[in-house]
Amino acid sequence: MNKVNNPCLNYSTRLKTASVLVHKAIEAIKHKDIQKRNLIWLELTGCSGNIISLLNGANPDFKSLASQMVNFIYDNSLMAAEGEAAMEKLYSMTGRDYILAVEGAVSTKDNGLYNIIGRWKGHPVTAYEVIKEFGEQAAYVIAVGTCASDGGISAARPNPAGCIGIQDMLDRKVIKLPGCPCHPDWFMGTLAYVMLFGEPETDNRQRPLMFYSTLIHDICPRRPYFDQGIFASKLGEKTCMFKLGCRGPVTRVDCPIRKWNDRVNWPIGDNTPCIGCAMFGFPDQMEPFISYDTT
Amino acid sequence: MNDREIFINMINDNLNEMNGTIDCLYITTSICAKNKLLNRLRRNMSNINLMLQGLRNGESMSSPPSIAERLFTMQDLSRYNGRDGNPAYIAVNGVVYDVTSNAAWGGATHFGLSAGTDVTSQFASCHAGQPILSKLKVVGKLVE
Repeated sequence: MNKVNNPCLNYSTRLKTASVLVHKAIEAIKHKDIQKRNLIWLELTGCSGNIISLLNGANPDFKSLASQMVNFIYDNSLMAAEGEAAMEKLYSMTGRDYILAVEGAVSTKDNGLYNIIGRWKGHPVTAYEVIKEFGEQAAYVIAVGTCASDGGISAARPNPAGCIGIQDMLDRKVIKLPGCPCHPDWFMGTLAYVMLFGEPETDNRQRPLMFYSTLIHDICPRRPYFDQGIFASKLGEKTCMFKLGCRGPVTRVDCPIRKWNDRVNWPIGDNTPCIGCAMFGFPDQMEPFISYDTT
Repeated sequence: MNDREIFINMINDNLNEMNGTIDCLYITTSICAKNKLLNRLRRNMSNINLMLQGLRNGESMSSPPSIAERLFTMQDLSRYNGRDGNPAYIAVNGVVYDVTSNAAWGGATHFGLSAGTDVTSQFASCHAGQPILSKLKVVGKLVE
């Protein structure tokens, strides 16, 4: 297990990005410099892993987000209302100001018939139509996780439901936060930034640079092993897993700094290669996840 | 201007940018700005690392010119799949490159592609205009 605290300035400063932004946003709301924003969280074609990941956030945590930063209007996993009453909450936002967070891809085959998220006035509502309607009207759209960003696992071969990322559905900019799941910091930091300063600076794949600018390989604690040509030949060894098919050299995100589960550990810290879950093309183009007998 | 001069100029550009970034780091108090500047430094370091690799490859290529004359058929190439002691080679535009130690080819695979194949079309669709090939070691030519 890796140490939680790292004395490196690069690590310690970047680790604080999300908490600094969230605390700034909360302070600004308290001082009435900015207002709480309405937040709609749609769970489309996926596993709901991103909302679970969000609940696992720590400094900043979900409670700060839901109680002090936004009016959490709709999320089918978390809200008390159900059925038409829940959909009523969603449709009450029509024509009003809200930020839209979306997890999961959009199933497009047969007019989206394979993902119905609820019923409204007696009619089934598909993910396909809800993203069209609420995506175009939102103040900002944030794709949370790899499925919403680029199709991800939902769009993996043979993709029977015709899943696509939400950007392909919308004629507007979508801020993408890929990762399977998305780290709570990446979402909360981005949301706070949007509320404080507007759209964050993004790369050519629409990912915020504050979290997605650096290759895992460039900040990997096992990088010295790569540079010396010392490679693991099987799982469990403590050296560089390049020969096992590690995708750290093609994956841009700050996992080595932020880590997971309350910053306890991350895949490479636990002796398994990075599988590139935060990169476009995951999972098909990141396979095989493990290779043996590599020269 | 030859490849070597281009690489050296690019390294110098990166070093100049790093100097400016470090100056900014001294005066900034905002943690968000600091974070961005640190990111920029990392990017510069990554660039310099790539340029150095390119320079080293250029030196190793210029010493044994005969290696680059080696001819590969598609069948020959397929043996160099990076497995069981074979190095990992790929072909782009008729030139065969060694990617055995290239970080982006972990496990001798790269975005769903395997070593031992001709990846000309995939290279054109993803990396057109990027100075990538000049950093790879040339091992020969692909023949029909």
